[in-house]
Amino acid sequence: MKKTCSRYTPEKISRFVDNELSQDQYYAVSQHIIHCPDCNRLAGQYKSLSAVFNDHADQQKLQINPDRLRQKLLQNTPCSKKNLLGNILVFFSKNIYLQLASIAVILIICLFSFQGSLFGPTGPSAIVTSVDTDFTSVMIIETQKEKHTIIWFSET
Amino acid sequence: MVKLIKIILIFTGISCFYFFSRPVFAAGRVLTDVKVIHASMGPGHIDPGLKKIISELESVFKYTSYRLLKDRRLNLGFNQEGRVDLPGKRTLIVMPTDMDGKRIRYQINIKKNNHLIFKTRVLLRNDSSITIGGPKFNNGFLLFNISGSMR
Ligand SMILES: [Zn+2]
Repeated sequence: MKKTCSRYTPEKISRFVDNELSQDQYYAVSQHIIHCPDCNRLAGQYKSLSAVFNDHADQQKLQINPDRLRQKLLQNTPCSKKNLLGNILVFFSKNIYLQLASIAVILIICLFSFQGSLFGPTGPSAIVTSVDTDFTSVMIIETQKEKHTIIWFSET
Repeated sequence: MVKLIKIILIFTGISCFYFFSRPVFAAGRVLTDVKVIHASMGPGHIDPGLKKIISELESVFKYTSYRLLKDRRLNLGFNQEGRVDLPGKRTLIVMPTDMDGKRIRYQINIKKNNHLIFKTRVLLRNDSSITIGGPKFNNGFLLFNISGSMR
């Protein structure tokens, strides 16, 4: 979305289309795009893009009747688990926001599982490979909750 | 709507950056944090900075007072010693030596009057900590909480 007029940035035009400007700013931009073909064209592009998304989103909203969906799910439960799964998949594939949300959730799970912190600590916080001391009494303890390693030695 | 697309793109970008930059231990610096804690049966008190670790230690210890005597952050390279002076003419010497998978291998020594009294080698999970305790001090005991984080 290139433009040559430098009076308003594409972001400002986008916010104008999304109705996110103050009243004064909104008025100024609306006056400007009457005379400026550049900004006018850009606003048109954003408008059509917004329209596509909004239409799609509205359609999905209309299509999903929560009561009917619940009924359908209930009807299908005794039949087979496969049908229920199918319905859930259809439900997900029809709604763009749900799709985006599921992608985000999958991404987050991947990130955390690679760090190994989502499913709790694996093994003790520290593995003690050797202890050497003049003192006779040394204890190695691991706490139950976080598996935190403690080495205790008595200086006697 | 354009805003939403931007947010998704930014989120994806940040995720990718985070994902690909994390496992690279390029510079080989180990941030080591040593907390020297005085545990005793004195009037109930836990220093604010110690809440998380003490909630864990309390399942094992029955002390009522935990005071942070010293908190030293050391930025160490491998095989570089970090020294922390302890009460009672003691010195704690920590040295990360290498990595073993996701764990940092540490050599931890405690000296008293320049004489080595305690020596251990541990494999510390990255971004985790170990507590070493035992020396008597001021009607209580000293605990050393050592955490390591490889960036
Ligand atoms: Zn213009």
